[in-house]
Amino acid sequence: MDKLRRSIILGGGLSLAFPNWPAFASSFKYNLKAQRIANNTYVVIGKTEDFSLENGGDIVNVAFIDTSDGVVLIDTGSSRRYGEALKKLIFDTTGKDVIRVYNTHYHPDHCLGNQLFDKTKIAALPKTISGLKTSGEDFSGNLYRLLGDWMRGTEVVLPEKVINYSSEKFGKHRFEMLPFEGHTDADLAILDHETGVLFTGDICFLDRAATTPHADLNKWHKSLSEIKKIPHKILFPGHGPADITSRSIDQTDTYLTWLETNLTNAVRDGKDMIEAAKMPIPEKFRSIDLINREIERSVAHLYPKIEEKALPFLGQGGG
Amino acid sequence: MRNLYTKLNVSNVKKLSCKLTCAAVGAIVLTAAPLQINSSIAANNTLKSSNLAKLPKDSLKSVMWDFVATEFLLSDKNTKKIVMNDSILVHAPKIAEDQLNLPVHVDARSVKNVQKIVIIADLNPIPKVLTYEPKQAEARLSFRIKVGQATPVRAAVLDKDGVWHIGGTFVDASGGGCSQPAVAYGNDDWVKRLAEIRGQIWRKPGSVASKMRIVIRHPMDTGLADGIPSFYLEKLEMKGSGGENVGTIYIKEPLSENPTLTLFPILKEATSSLHVKGRDTEGHLIDVSIPAPVQSSALID
Repeated sequence: MDKLRRSIILGGGLSLAFPNWPAFASSFKYNLKAQRIANNTYVVIGKTEDFSLENGGDIVNVAFIDTSDGVVLIDTGSSRRYGEALKKLIFDTTGKDVIRVYNTHYHPDHCLGNQLFDKTKIAALPKTISGLKTSGEDFSGNLYRLLGDWMRGTEVVLPEKVINYSSEKFGKHRFEMLPFEGHTDADLAILDHETGVLFTGDICFLDRAATTPHADLNKWHKSLSEIKKIPHKILFPGHGPADITSRSIDQTDTYLTWLETNLTNAVRDGKDMIEAAKMPIPEKFRSIDLINREIERSVAHLYPKIEEKALPFLGQGGG
Repeated sequence: MRNLYTKLNVSNVKKLSCKLTCAAVGAIVLTAAPLQINSSIAANNTLKSSNLAKLPKDSLKSVMWDFVATEFLLSDKNTKKIVMNDSILVHAPKIAEDQLNLPVHVDARSVKNVQKIVIIADLNPIPKVLTYEPKQAEARLSFRIKVGQATPVRAAVLDKDGVWHIGGTFVDASGGGCSQPAVAYGNDDWVKRLAEIRGQIWRKPGSVASKMRIVIRHPMDTGLADGIPSFYLEKLEMKGSGGENVGTIYIKEPLSENPTLTLFPILKEATSSLHVKGRDTEGHLIDVSIPAPVQSSALID
């Protein structure tokens, strides 16, 4: 697929449709900021928003660790431009090059900045690599559609380093590889034993509703209960602020339980998808960003399977 | 064709040879289709050009409005007039999360004496989704559709005076929902589970109102996926055990895989079940009874 052509067509169309488009189209600059959350440890916190022409896909958390061997980067963002901005930010902050990149899972907001980095140094779980191989082009096509020229030149780059080891050390920092599943079929969490920072990828969300397009809720709950047992000082979720009280684990867990319970009850009460999406939101979840939007999306992801379980079987046609 | 395909699948012969045969048929259909459409547009434009001038302005500003009106509304012999009517509610998410399963709820209870409700997704390669003729039922329903790209989704509601009332909404979507193979083909046992039916009826205590939900397992092939001919459920009739004729639904290819329908039958107190009869394009029959116990917790507004 000719990405360049597609982005030019889309960008051109948009500037005709929205006269104000050039106001932000002229820059296409991500305003990324590094925050230090622990010794040698910096995070770039994405907006807790959906993809939009205004944010250019700056909606994901990224982290980097400044070791004496070089910089270790966790996730690369939504686009080539994001990867460029990130690379510059890392160099401005540490003065060093990136020697290891991890992709926590195969969703596009976490790995479409890959092309700025040496692919032999990008590491991921085997199913993350195969997932990105299968779906990467579709993901990227969809983001071109949603983000237009922000995506210019973005290509899917597959990680070439397979994570089949339990830890690796750069400088004084020993990174433990913690393979989980549930948000997707391969979700990598990483524990930095030097600082006690636990990077959970999208197994944990904080104050931003969890997303479920490839979720297996049972496996996700199991992963969350295992993560709870891992001693750590700070938890850094895939979306939302750094978490010093680990409340992101409980919030994600109780939200997913509440969601599934409500959808099951909705099927039993005879609601269709549109009605099910209008479920009342309990007080404790109301301050979670994007909760209404994510409930609507989750209904689309989860409802047909719940219907198959909860609606009575009546018979089978044939002839 | 389907039988051949089915047998090949069941005996687990790899699909290659079948695909070749199907592709050949597909090619004939594909080359024939544009000609057909073009000639029908031309014919209609000539015959009904005076009517086209009287079309109301489309509130959704669709480039396909003239075509949709000509093809699906003016072609109906009962048509006297077409009006935009924003009291017809067409609820759908603003963005299709799953282009194979866009949920839609249509409520046309504001229109009196509804004869039929036609659902049209203008920019789908096959725009018409279904025609519902409610008899002893409220003029509303829910269903899911496949969408090929961002598109207006309309409900055209014909009353007994020959007036089409048009309501609709616009849905954004990523592409390709109409040209993907059914998800069922990922499982080797899809034939065994073809036409499995699930469903339930809820009745509002002390009222004739009820709600019926039915899910019929079916691949609903549009014929636009590579090498897979069209194969879809095409008709469902609902009758109450008390003799009520609830209504009939005529279905087209864009209805979602495993069609999932919600209807609102009006039932006599003594009615104990609803009978659903139907068939797909290859003669598989649907014939099922859904119990309608009076004592059921109903949540019907």
